Amino acid sequence: MELYLYIALFAPLVGSLFSALFGMSPKTNITGYIASGLLFTSFLSSLVLLNYVLGGHTVHVELMTWMATGDLYIPFGFVVDQVSVVMMMVVTIVSTVVHVYSVGYMDHDKGFNRFFSWLSAFVFSMMVLVMSDNFAGLFIGWEGVGLCSWGLIGFWYHKESATWAANEAFIMNRIADLGMLIGIFMIYWNVGSLQYDVVFAEIGNLPLVITTWIGIFLFIGAMGKSAQFPLHTWLADAMEGPTPVSALIHAATMVTAGVYLVVRANPIYDLIPNVGIFIASLGAFVALFAASMALVNRDMKRIIAYSTLSQLGYMFVAAGLGAYWVALFHLMAHAFFKALLFLGAGNVMHAMHDELDPFKMGGLRKVMKGTFIMMTLASVALAGIYPFAGFFSKDLILEVGFVEHHYIIYTVLLLTAGLTAFYSFRLVALIFHGEERYKLFGIHPHEAYKFMLVAMSPLLVLAIIAGSFKMTYYQLVTNLLPSTVYHVHNEVTFWIMTIGTQLFVISAILFAYKKYSNWNSVPDGTSKMENSFGYKLLWNQYYIPKFYEEVFSKPYLELSKIAWKQIDLKIVDATVDMIANAIYKTGENTRDIQNGNLSTMLRWMVFGLVVLLALAVAFTVGYNAVSA
Amino acid sequence: MIDHILTLLIFFPALAAMLGFVVTKDSMRAYGIAVSFIEFVLSLWLWYAYDPMVSGMQFMESMPLIPAFGINYLLGVDGISLFIIILSTFFTMIGIASLTEKRHLKNLIITLLFLEMTMVGVFAALDAIVFYVFWELSLVPMLYIIGAWGGPLRIYASIKFFLYTFTGSLIMLVGMLFMAYFYNQATGMWSFSILEWYRLILPENFQLWLFAAFFIGFAIKVPMFPFHTWLPYAHGQAPTIGSVILAAILLKMGTYAFVRFSLPMFPDASVYFMFPIAIIAIIMIIYTAMVAYAQEDIKQVVAYSSVSHMGVIILGTFALNVEGVSGSVFLMLAHGVVSGALFLLVGVIYDRRHTKMMSEFGGIASVMPRYATIFGIMMMASVGLPLTINFVGEFLSLLGFYKQSHMITLTAGVAIIVGAIYMLSAYKKMFFGTVTNEANRNLKDVNRTELLGLIPLVIVAIWLGVYPKPVLGPINNSVESIIQLMHDKAQSPEAKERIPNLSDSSKIISMQEAH
Repeated sequence: MELYLYIALFAPLVGSLFSALFGMSPKTNITGYIASGLLFTSFLSSLVLLNYVLGGHTVHVELMTWMATGDLYIPFGFVVDQVSVVMMMVVTIVSTVVHVYSVGYMDHDKGFNRFFSWLSAFVFSMMVLVMSDNFAGLFIGWEGVGLCSWGLIGFWYHKESATWAANEAFIMNRIADLGMLIGIFMIYWNVGSLQYDVVFAEIGNLPLVITTWIGIFLFIGAMGKSAQFPLHTWLADAMEGPTPVSALIHAATMVTAGVYLVVRANPIYDLIPNVGIFIASLGAFVALFAASMALVNRDMKRIIAYSTLSQLGYMFVAAGLGAYWVALFHLMAHAFFKALLFLGAGNVMHAMHDELDPFKMGGLRKVMKGTFIMMTLASVALAGIYPFAGFFSKDLILEVGFVEHHYIIYTVLLLTAGLTAFYSFRLVALIFHGEERYKLFGIHPHEAYKFMLVAMSPLLVLAIIAGSFKMTYYQLVTNLLPSTVYHVHNEVTFWIMTIGTQLFVISAILFAYKKYSNWNSVPDGTSKMENSFGYKLLWNQYYIPKFYEEVFSKPYLELSKIAWKQIDLKIVDATVDMIANAIYKTGENTRDIQNGNLSTMLRWMVFGLVVLLALAVAFTVGYNAVSA
Repeated sequence: MIDHILTLLIFFPALAAMLGFVVTKDSMRAYGIAVSFIEFVLSLWLWYAYDPMVSGMQFMESMPLIPAFGINYLLGVDGISLFIIILSTFFTMIGIASLTEKRHLKNLIITLLFLEMTMVGVFAALDAIVFYVFWELSLVPMLYIIGAWGGPLRIYASIKFFLYTFTGSLIMLVGMLFMAYFYNQATGMWSFSILEWYRLILPENFQLWLFAAFFIGFAIKVPMFPFHTWLPYAHGQAPTIGSVILAAILLKMGTYAFVRFSLPMFPDASVYFMFPIAIIAIIMIIYTAMVAYAQEDIKQVVAYSSVSHMGVIILGTFALNVEGVSGSVFLMLAHGVVSGALFLLVGVIYDRRHTKMMSEFGGIASVMPRYATIFGIMMMASVGLPLTINFVGEFLSLLGFYKQSHMITLTAGVAIIVGAIYMLSAYKKMFFGTVTNEANRNLKDVNRTELLGLIPLVIVAIWLGVYPKPVLGPINNSVESIIQLMHDKAQSPEAKERIPNLSDSSKIISMQEAH
């Protein structure tokens, strides 16, 4: 089984290095094929491992030592257990699909080879992240995905907005990574090891206040990767990257790393329910907060990005309330339908020559039947309609909130579910229904390559049927995670809740259709709604990016300039030069003493004699006075 | 021959430099490469012959110089100095091999070989006077390199560099003389041997004064805030090769000396000054990172980033535990590799455009993709990404200091954020965007000579990031013995508590037993 583990882990790396070899040469299809093929190999190996783990085994290997000094010992260790195998399946499935899709999507891009190199490197980092058996290894993957995300957001580096977004994402993640690093330091100095098994066995013996801080610092790390408030702004800006990247990294895998961390560290978070409540509350807040911004946005990818943010909030609610398996389940289901949604959006973008404003589209269902069906079904799954994947995972989170008696969280999530349905179908209605507004802009849309649609189809299938895995999945992961069943015991309440939620969501969908499916003009910023305060607030993302710009970015640059020009040059360096000059000047001014003129020298000699005599007298008197 | 390998390592380049005067101009380059390559192979042989299990000094050589005052020609290496010596020979080789300078090439190579002698000498010396002689001698070739091959302000920069560091060293020399005097008072004998000094337990107030005297000498060399202002001038005016050697090796003399002198000789004073120094380290990390962010000249960004990274090294050194000190020694090597590579990279673009202003560039990634890739890798190493060489050192340094103070480490950890800010924004200004300046449209990508220098550095930066064990192991053993020595020598209860006792672990061979 170790062999399969290494294949699953290293196949993407090989793919990445292979593509990197051709990174600077013009497009060669072979890189795309090889990289995709290796990803598929990785997927098959993961499948073998899944089968093995289903049989009740786990695989744990240690490749070699990484860092060892003092009492610190960190190996490159990898573990395939019930939790990591689920993540491996999600990562390899989505990334295989995205790789194949990208062969078509990036067809005309001159950075084709470079793209596959980065994309496979990302998958490798993600595999390291989920498979590591210690916190340091997790951190390698953690930073690795950050690097690849930087490279892929800024893939079209000639665009100012893209490179800006790439740097923003990297730096924001770094802020959170500092928290994570401190958490790791705390674990090491209190437990003496960074291995999961040792840490989780020992964590109960630590004072609660230490455990609490560890939990908080690790969660700060999670907040960065999973773009939780207040570190959320980078995710929407990250949509500057190519759409397959958004599908893989900024929807399905990397952004869920934070959730994975909390799930993985469940023995820590189990001990500190107060932190858990905070996580859940923040999650609920982000769910609503992000959904509200999605309501008015006019950028197709940003709407989906906000939706991702909102769904991450759901996952954190579940994880924070101790329902780790529910969080992981939603993570999995979400990965499938959200990646599908993004890839669909990619097709639309291609058809529309990179136009992102859904108000400039309309009626595309006639020319893009396949994409239309896929995106609609993905949206249905996202909205959580029975029997699609979202119903099983998202409804469960609502139930968790209800069963755990957090009614405020429950209400917020319920409301958010309605908003989710509304903005998802606002998007679908604007893109695929109504008048063909794109004709005003002289665009001739076309459906994507057939193989791209075929590549997407596994995600479609999974988005529809993922709910049926629930029992198998539950039995699998609860070997490792707390096996609490969240069920509303009162039969009547249960049915009222379920049906009520469904009706609420369906009415939100119908409302969205009614409002937007017959849209016939492109808003130009003059309508009453567009000038209302609420709309402007949401349109400007609550003015948070502007706030960060004014309060952090600009002052930091100003302060840096002051530090250089005022402090470093005018104070620190000037002082040094002043001392040097003072010495130089003293020499310059006193050189007259030795100018060789006899009378001057005699005068100085007399002066010196007087001073010496005076000193001698003073010392003698003083000495006598002391000794007497 | 292996018994005298250190003498050979020190004087072979000097001898070769003198012979270099008779070599013809045209073959000088080949001669320089050959000599520095042989020297590098000799240093690798040293590594091969070095026994990593022994923590004490190896290959010791001793010859009386001034017996009346106990001054001996005393050499030896342990895990700490071994790799810095290899780094010195490595960089001299790479530097000469990738030299693009055309003016007075012969003199430049001779100067570099002399400089190599002084560098190896500093790190191999175990006698304070011998150490001091090499320490001061190293200023001369660098003064010459900056003064003769530098930019328009070269005279100002080189004199500033010389006088500033020289002043510091004189105070250090006074400290050394006092130390010898105290040794004489305590034992009745004269000795300048560092190893003998290690055994001397000084009263705490003596330690504080001596620590301060040594500190000024080292701090100016490192350079620590607020003594750092000579560095931007020196880097700004120095030719590429000068900056590379200065950043990669010469700055390490200061941090190395802290580990070699201050820590084992003055354990109580080290604990006493731990927090003030940590505060200075934080200022170095954050303040100079901000200054780096404000720079308009790419070389100055790298220069200030050096100061910022040296702050992390200082912090690791004064963690006073094995994790921190090992990390800081490793980070010395890491920073040498990465900053040396970055200065080489800056040199590449300077050779082509004769400007270092970032506003002159933009969109270079599309014109020079190989250059952009190597620069990107080195930038990410500088930012401290895991699996690059810098991460190991930074992680261990910060991890070590966390044991001493949570808040200070949390503040110092901001290094990973501010470091990313100035590096990424500089990279963006240089490489991203579209080519707007016509002069950049047809730049040639890195050529073979340049790759000769850069590729090995990329390999080392990644190899030691993924598998640091061959280097970290010997460092760890030697650091453990220093920490144990410090713990044993410490007198104040606070020092006893802050410096861990490792004696329960069996692998320790104490400094005294080793020879």
